[in-house]
Amino acid sequence: MYKRTILVTGLVLAFTGTAAAFDFDWQKALKVGGETLQKVQAANKTVDEAQEIELGQGIAANLLGTSPLLDNNRVQLYVNDVGRWLSLHTERPNLPWQFGVLESTDLNAFATPGGTIFVTKGLLMNLSNESELAGVLAHEMVHVLSKHHLAALQKSARMDLAGDLANEALKDRAGPILDKAVKAGTEVYARGLDKSDEFEADRKGIIIATRAGYDPYGLPAVLQMLDAANAQDSSLALMFKTHPAPRARLNLLDKIMADNFDNYRAPVQTDKRFLAALAQVK
Amino acid sequence: MKKCFLILMMLGLPLSASAVEQTAFTIRSTEIKKQPYSDAQTLATLPDKASVKIVLRKGGWVSISSAQGSGWVKMLNLRSNSTGEERGDNGLRSLFNMGRSGSSGITVATGVRGLSEEDLKTASPNPDELAKMKNFAVSQAQAEKFARVGKLNSQTLDYIPAQ
Repeated sequence: MYKRTILVTGLVLAFTGTAAAFDFDWQKALKVGGETLQKVQAANKTVDEAQEIELGQGIAANLLGTSPLLDNNRVQLYVNDVGRWLSLHTERPNLPWQFGVLESTDLNAFATPGGTIFVTKGLLMNLSNESELAGVLAHEMVHVLSKHHLAALQKSARMDLAGDLANEALKDRAGPILDKAVKAGTEVYARGLDKSDEFEADRKGIIIATRAGYDPYGLPAVLQMLDAANAQDSSLALMFKTHPAPRARLNLLDKIMADNFDNYRAPVQTDKRFLAALAQVK
Repeated sequence: MKKCFLILMMLGLPLSASAVEQTAFTIRSTEIKKQPYSDAQTLATLPDKASVKIVLRKGGWVSISSAQGSGWVKMLNLRSNSTGEERGDNGLRSLFNMGRSGSSGITVATGVRGLSEEDLKTASPNPDELAKMKNFAVSQAQAEKFARVGKLNSQTLDYIPAQ
């Protein structure tokens, strides 16, 4: 009898134990399965446009943290006019495109996801006309159109960007994952994109500028200027580090443009207003 | 002004006294044209690797002087003679940079640098500047007006596929 009680108790305990273990495993399995399912679903999507814009705004705020805007409303508006006009000749004309001239004396330009484009005062001051500005802005805009930074971020941060952001969005608030993506996203600008992304931006950038009525040779002219510049100058350091050599970029454009772009001219009015808009920039 | 420029060009003198002599070389046999157009009269033909002096750039064309004569050549047929001897921040001396003043050499902007690799890795956000930036964004209608004033006409052409 005594033995039996022990046995029964043992059985009950064993059963309870088994039941508890089963119950726990079942819940865990369900949870893991659910998360996996969610991630699989998310991975099949890309980062949606609202998230792309939010991420880009975060990165733009960081870039502005390293260099404020040039304090010249006329120039800021002028660059927005040129950029917004270009945007109407792209496959994503309805993004919230905005353009800013950074106070920095470095020669560089940046694009952040969702349609925020920067050009530095240092680069702007070394451009000769509106077509060259258009060429630079159009190159940057291609990085947005083709989502190059999103791809670089996904690769570099070892994060399932689309999946993680989608999961966070389910909680209906911006949180640590967006913060992490913004920080990792900003670091992409110190490293640069894939060379093939830069070549794509050149190749498509000249087309966007030409569609908008500009001289197709605006961007090549800027590359000639950079190719002939003193590569040791510190104001070119980051741009030269993060881009293919200007000569390689010129060679590619030379090959694809051939004689097919000789008949496009920019109106002389655009040259005049470029000089007028930049007259006060020092 | 035009006459003055022509005389300077004929004399092979740079446009500005402070201008560094701008030289380049051809990367293929290149026709020297009377005007900056493909169908303009051909004055002479430069061989591959011919040395030229750059006088002026106009879109995809560069006005040059050379042992073979003067005129206009296609910009992408030229590459600059970078010396590679410069070190440090002694001015950028860009051969192709005519700048806004018409003189050569990169214009050195004054002010803060920022935007170094280190700056980007340790960046903290500036939401006030971002808010300010939004004020400068323009509407589609504004951009279309800007294009009309500048006599910019839209063109239809496709992207060139990657080669």
